[in-house]
Amino acid sequence: MFKKVLIANRGEIALRINRACHELGVATVAIFSDADRASLHVRHADEAFCVGPGPVMRSYLNIPNIISAALISGCDAIHPGYGFLAENARFAEIAADHGLTFIGPKPAVINAMGDKATAKRLMREAGVPTTPGSDIVANVDEARTVCAKIGYPVLLKATAGGGGKGMRSVTAPEELPTAFATAQAEAEASFKDGRMYVEKLITNPRHVEVQVLADEHGEVVHLGERDCSVQKPSHQKLIEEAPAPALDPAVRDRLHDVATTATRAVGYTNAGTLEFLVAGDDVYFMEMNTRIQVEHPVTELIYGVDLVKEQIRIAAGEHLGFTQDDLHPHGHSIEVRVNAEDPNNNFAPAAGTLTTVVFPGGPGIRVDTHVYGGAVVPPFYDSMLAKIIAVGRTRESAILRMERALSETRIEGVKTTVDFCSEVLGEPEFRAGGIGVGWLPAFLSRRAAAV
Amino acid sequence: MTEDVIAARTRALAGALAEAGFARLRVRDGETEIELRRAPRAPAAAAGAPAAVPEAVVEKPPQRPADLVASEVVGIVRLLRPAVAEGQDLDGDRELAYVETLGIRNAVHSRGGGRISAVFVHEGQPVEYGQPLFAIER
Repeated sequence: MFKKVLIANRGEIALRINRACHELGVATVAIFSDADRASLHVRHADEAFCVGPGPVMRSYLNIPNIISAALISGCDAIHPGYGFLAENARFAEIAADHGLTFIGPKPAVINAMGDKATAKRLMREAGVPTTPGSDIVANVDEARTVCAKIGYPVLLKATAGGGGKGMRSVTAPEELPTAFATAQAEAEASFKDGRMYVEKLITNPRHVEVQVLADEHGEVVHLGERDCSVQKPSHQKLIEEAPAPALDPAVRDRLHDVATTATRAVGYTNAGTLEFLVAGDDVYFMEMNTRIQVEHPVTELIYGVDLVKEQIRIAAGEHLGFTQDDLHPHGHSIEVRVNAEDPNNNFAPAAGTLTTVVFPGGPGIRVDTHVYGGAVVPPFYDSMLAKIIAVGRTRESAILRMERALSETRIEGVKTTVDFCSEVLGEPEFRAGGIGVGWLPAFLSRRAAAV
Repeated sequence: MTEDVIAARTRALAGALAEAGFARLRVRDGETEIELRRAPRAPAAAAGAPAAVPEAVVEKPPQRPADLVASEVVGIVRLLRPAVAEGQDLDGDRELAYVETLGIRNAVHSRGGGRISAVFVHEGQPVEYGQPLFAIER
């Protein structure tokens, strides 16, 4: 096992990793920016280094300063968390070059899964169903041929893309030239990579993802699925749950099988998530996230497995020590993201001082957060303040528990998503289960029209 | 910029700095650059020392308008020989030390002459970004 781990992140996930390390008897080193000097993750770690000013390029993405902090403090491993450098294969390579273990998969796998067209091709070769579409198309004429074959509507996507950048939906052939040109220009500007591919557009699918763990000795298990269909118009997740409600048992089994098969096929190690679109009985591989995810606690609460500890144990070369037959989910879990955002103004992020912070407690409630009363929310980073997670014997009991927890929550000083999420939980369609990713944007439109 | 414009702008920035709780603020306008820093916390407080309560860290007012030379990187301090001592006068700009980061030397200059009023670090000390290395009276 490692002696000391540098946590290359901030916010709630830095605390989450710190907790896992301390429970494993591993010392921790935090990094922070000038703007995060008073953040909880700095206080809880055994040591802490300021690595730069507020803007992320000069602090949380400053590879030389981060590696240097790990070396001068005597770390033997780095946990990247999510976001920032978590899916940066170059960072993983540099860490390895300096004798530091990167807690995650191998750089070649990060690279392969990070390039969306490559990931899709590898998955297709492994027998994983993918959305009908193409490899890289050289120009708009090639794109037109593919579109004619798979039928409109289609999605044009940048292979280096993410966060909706370099992506356009096209409903008819005459829209194609303009959409292709603008999406490609956007991809070139954002990722310095204008390579595009085409995909069939699936209308209002569900977002269902499968958690996997793979050790370095060939053991691969899945820890069931999560439903993350409650997404803002920007495609960011807002409410997640496990297991996915109202899902055909045959579809569920197929997702689990496909996920473990694919994990083996690409030689994946450590924790990972395969994201799928589900439309009726059809499932399509979307992408693989080669990191721990924000919504990992809903899986932890129903499986009783500490995923972050497992990541660290796997990276240290340990055996998983359990097989698929040992894993049995119990009950239902749901997570609400508490963001410093205004739901009534397109979820515009807010910065400022949190004058009042009271989090819920009681049976079946877990809160992962880095904020406290008086904490300052800097303008430089993600707007997530906390994750509230509820677990119950059934979906209904978990939702009731979450409603109770949200009613106990008081955050003042910035606008948050707390009340809005309560509203969503009360909606009959959400309550029934099985909504698609188009549901929340439609709900927002109805809600705006009603005012 | 004229002197009183600079003075007025510095006052405004000092207010912004105190309000925001940032450790450092640098504003560049043409050839003029204004840089303000809050008073340093104890050197190397980062490593091992128990963390102060956040309120105390944020609210601590600047103690004196010292001209601090701070580290721009995370690394190991190497003092250049002959090493400067407290009370020593510098005629002009001089390279005082470098901070080694992954084998790269990051030079630390005095940025002009003055009297060394404090040396906060010793040879081979690990330092973080923004950590004061020297104080210089101009």
